[in-house]
Amino acid sequence: MSGNFWKSSHYQQWLLDPQDIMINRLKELQANNLKEDEYYKLMIFFTNFIQSLGENLRLRQQVIASATVYFRRFYSKYSFKCIDPFLLAPTCLFLATKVEEFGLQSQQRFATLTASLIKSKYSHLYTQEYPYKIQHIWECEFYLLEVMDCCLILFHPYRPLIQFVNDLSPDDQSLLQQAWRVCNDSLRTDLCLMYPPSLIALGCLHIACVHLKKDAKQWFSELNVDMEKLFEVVRHIMHLYDILKTYDEKEKIKEILGKIAKPRLTNNSSSSNIQSSSQNSQQQQRTQIMNQQAPQQQQQQQDQH
Amino acid sequence: MHKYDKLLKIGEGTYGTVFKAKNRDTQEIVALKRVRLDDEDDGVPSSALREICLLKELKHRNIIRLLDVLHGENKLTLVFEYCDQDLKKYFDSCNGEIDSDTVKSFMQQLLKGLAFCHSHNVLHRDLKPQNLLINKNGELKLADFGLARAFGIPVKCYSAEVVTLWYRPPDVLFGAKIYNTSIDQWSAGCIFAELANGGRPLFPGSDIEDQLKKIFKILGEPTEENWPGVTLLPDYKDFNLPPVAFSLALYVPKLNQKGKDLLQQMLVCNPSGRISAEDSLKHPYFTEE
Repeated sequence: MSGNFWKSSHYQQWLLDPQDIMINRLKELQANNLKEDEYYKLMIFFTNFIQSLGENLRLRQQVIASATVYFRRFYSKYSFKCIDPFLLAPTCLFLATKVEEFGLQSQQRFATLTASLIKSKYSHLYTQEYPYKIQHIWECEFYLLEVMDCCLILFHPYRPLIQFVNDLSPDDQSLLQQAWRVCNDSLRTDLCLMYPPSLIALGCLHIACVHLKKDAKQWFSELNVDMEKLFEVVRHIMHLYDILKTYDEKEKIKEILGKIAKPRLTNNSSSSNIQSSSQNSQQQQRTQIMNQQAPQQQQQQQDQH
Repeated sequence: MHKYDKLLKIGEGTYGTVFKAKNRDTQEIVALKRVRLDDEDDGVPSSALREICLLKELKHRNIIRLLDVLHGENKLTLVFEYCDQDLKKYFDSCNGEIDSDTVKSFMQQLLKGLAFCHSHNVLHRDLKPQNLLINKNGELKLADFGLARAFGIPVKCYSAEVVTLWYRPPDVLFGAKIYNTSIDQWSAGCIFAELANGGRPLFPGSDIEDQLKKIFKILGEPTEENWPGVTLLPDYKDFNLPPVAFSLALYVPKLNQKGKDLLQQMLVCNPSGRISAEDSLKHPYFTEE
């Protein structure tokens, strides 16, 4: 799907009001005693997690980008307490590969590969065995579909970016590469929830031009876009770079991850919200997700631990 | 699920059972397509996912409308607008006679739906009379997008086994892995001829080789001159058929001259020579009396 962004579900249903995003987020911050920048860092962490998982599965960047957007869409509406982000992350990739029709070797591998990646790369953060099996991913896929209202087709900034670079400075590979990298980085922000991909592409291009000291003022001024919005995009990305400048993920993320009350598994049966296979608790889970009651119920589970 | 009363089973789709049902609140008649999620499968079947996410984006009067998706215990139910029959059943009921206005109307609607898909960069890939639904107002709608896909850049390496044999273009039959909107235009051309002949299929091949022979018997075997690169296709075969005896026009005797001309432009063996859905709609067959 391309060229019809303005008629797409992406535009009509999934460009969210920044205020709505903030309202939901504030609830999440309070419930987990998180600071805003800590939440931000969590999302960066899981975007990186999806990225390395996707690279391990040899998926195209487009698929990884889609999975990242699914992930953000889910948590823009629901809490970490509804579904463990360590389960939602592979599920988003799983769904994105199906949507992009990327011939998947063995879908069973999704769970085992996630487990082995966690073991090899994230063992300092994730001390117990990775508890999820492919069945959990299937079940989680179901909720993800529902929360996103089956809006799975996405538009990414990459394609408009190529067009813009071709127009601004044809065959300028270094500019394209630089802007492309910024585009990849932009996945670590809320931009995909708030702005059309073409505008994100322009923001990335603008940053790349400044970085390469390329004078593109004239070109940008002739664009028929709301410059104020364009600079909002730029500010979002610069904010990301500001955070990354002073932040050592390895050192800090463990503490932040410890704060989020994700569904935990116990030995006898699961207390993960979508873990149990019994029909009753599935039903319960469904209600939880749909009624946004999960935080309270989860809180009770927390208390029991 | 409580919102709908099931009335009767209509059939088995690509990935689930289809029921006719009534919305309890609005009395609206709908079609329910139930997708079972079994533990042995890979979660939601990808054909169902493709259908859901494409129909979510494709809203057009000649494309079946996906009204809702219901999430139930281990199953998904897709709620579609209801159509009384498909074109295959319509053919069976009309005793080999379809008046020329109906032929034109159906063909125009088919091409409108197709042009819309193609403008959204969506290939249907499985057009056949069974997938064209007709409601009681004579509206035709494209359905069953289970094999459809959104194509982007790069366009290559789609699975070779997609279109039902009778409506499959020669390039795909020769094993071409790269194809585009022209795949649907060929199928539309076959359906056009079938409509004009009161439901008699134009190329009812029994296997791939027979299918190709039936096509080339009417259209002539392609050559490097009229289709550069054809001999390089993976499954290319030279059948050494005798020259064509009759023109395509003779196989659709009831179609008027303009219709014959349009059909000729749709059924071009070389995919790059096939007329697009959008251009077909501008053809005199539709624009002039």
